[in-house]
Amino acid sequence: MSKTLFEKIWDSHVVVQEDGRSLLYVDRHLVHEVTSPQAFDGLRLNGRKVRRTDLTFATMDHNVPTSDRSLPIIDQTSSTQIKALEKNCKEFGITLFDINSPNQGIVHVIGPELGITLPGTTIVCGDSHTSTHGAFGALAFGIGTSDVEHVLATQCIMMEKPKTFEIKIQGKRKNPHAVTAKDIILSIIRKIGTAGGTGTVIEYRGETISELTMEQRMTICNMSIEAGARAGLIAPDEKTFQYLRGRKYSPENYDESVNYWRENLKTDSSAKFDKSFILGVENIAPQVSWGTNPAMTTDVTGTVPFPEEYGKGNPEEEKGATKALQYMNLQPGTAITDITIDRVFIGSCTNSRLEDLMEAAKVVKGKKVSTKVRAMVVPGSQLVKKNAEELGLDKIFKSAGFEWRESGCSMCLGMNPDILSAGERCASTSNRNFEGRQGTGGRTHLVSPVMAAAAAIHGHFVDVRELDLN
Amino acid sequence: MKGSVIKYERDNIDTDVILPGPYLKIHDYAELATHAMEGLDKDFHKRVKPGDFIVAGKNFGCGSSREHAPIALSYSGIKAVLALSFARIFYRNAVDGAFLLPIEIDENAYRDISDSDSLEVDISKNEIQNLTKNKVYKIKPFPELIGKIIEAGGLFNYKP
Repeated sequence: MSKTLFEKIWDSHVVVQEDGRSLLYVDRHLVHEVTSPQAFDGLRLNGRKVRRTDLTFATMDHNVPTSDRSLPIIDQTSSTQIKALEKNCKEFGITLFDINSPNQGIVHVIGPELGITLPGTTIVCGDSHTSTHGAFGALAFGIGTSDVEHVLATQCIMMEKPKTFEIKIQGKRKNPHAVTAKDIILSIIRKIGTAGGTGTVIEYRGETISELTMEQRMTICNMSIEAGARAGLIAPDEKTFQYLRGRKYSPENYDESVNYWRENLKTDSSAKFDKSFILGVENIAPQVSWGTNPAMTTDVTGTVPFPEEYGKGNPEEEKGATKALQYMNLQPGTAITDITIDRVFIGSCTNSRLEDLMEAAKVVKGKKVSTKVRAMVVPGSQLVKKNAEELGLDKIFKSAGFEWRESGCSMCLGMNPDILSAGERCASTSNRNFEGRQGTGGRTHLVSPVMAAAAAIHGHFVDVRELDLN
Repeated sequence: MKGSVIKYERDNIDTDVILPGPYLKIHDYAELATHAMEGLDKDFHKRVKPGDFIVAGKNFGCGSSREHAPIALSYSGIKAVLALSFARIFYRNAVDGAFLLPIEIDENAYRDISDSDSLEVDISKNEIQNLTKNKVYKIKPFPELIGKIIEAGGLFNYKP
């Protein structure tokens, strides 16, 4: 019987499947400080151990300050959570990349760069952006704390089998440096909606996907959850195998693994998906979100929509747009390029990898950040930071007036010192523009790294297709 | 289950408004509860009573995997969220810890139920009675696995 890639990975990990439930074996469990403390408490309470300490890896990313690492953490509750993770990892025997480790970073950045993320594996983490790892052909789910505890204790997760959703991305972008992977995924979410993928595992396919680098593929898979999907997947290819070769935790008998992956990890040509969507990318523009969910996005050449125009006859959508515009303090009809900004954040598990920083640096080189803007670059991991510094990117950003910071989730989610003040407007390379996401009353516009960099220089959004990025 | 309705006529109520990020560092559930819905409704905490239901639109609980979201609602007294649809991680988190029931209702019920209405929810009959309006609505039955986890009282009590 012909199968999709998802079905192949699923079937090879099923321990039990009956009565609507599947017990799925978990190959890699990534743990961070925010969604794990209660899970470890639960283990202690019930006298349980971590079943596979060798398949469990932890780091601290959500709470950590991105300023000077030699200073103590001032926020007591953050410090407590970070210390709790240290204590739990020690007690239960789990590998931890702590705040001073050269491998510390955002969990979804370090998984792939350490070769923990591998094709054909199942990966879970108490974080919704676990979908990122799907870029390597891994079936990767975000889970809550009860499931974290269940996986720690049993190395299995109990699930219902998701449906399959094919998203075919085809065509050639005229300027792939200006119209990026971020613009592709924002275009998709804008079209299928924030619940367009609910209950499904998306497989991204098509010629455009093959052309993307691994880091670009991660940006796409990362935001699958923003369309409501359980996971996003891309079949591994030579780029995937090349990327993972020689990484810290990549298999020792690497060529043998590659042969297996190459042979087994693709959707059969006659396999059927439950749902399908096609995106042509020839004419897509850089995207800018204007509202309070990622589907509320438009072209940089566009205008802030009128709620009735956005709602297209759906009163709920119209109401949602009205509320969003109030929160964002935007007038319908305003040109996107007329929106001025106060802050710029280049970072997060969506866009904080080396290529993101290299692309943003091209825009910034030799320029100055607008005097009205405070801009920061937060590399996704210590390794990204080190590699970027070897290329001199830190100097480019710093001499332009950007802050160059230590790795972590930073201003993506408003739970560490990097936050927006009420009313501040931010061009952000992160993944969520929800109300208050980057700080109470803060206003988020989701964009690509090059769009964020250009906005920092000009003080407002600009169409990066007009810049020389090659 | 009997209780009264707190209605938000809104789709995509995300986990960041249900329990904003800064509070994810709080471990005490009663304290978490004081911040429930703070991103959307600052008065929720003063208004909510034990046994209340939230009624909302599509894709309730979208966003983060934080179990703190259903925990905060549960410890503030919410017994069930009645929504047109749910984001899957929230849905699962709600039942895993037996925090609250995520119940899918149809457009008719969503439009008909008003803020402060008294409801009686009976999941054995897949039915909601609106005691204020004297009406009955059907609810979407739980998927098999979810129904069994609910019946057992959470993931760790569920024995297949």
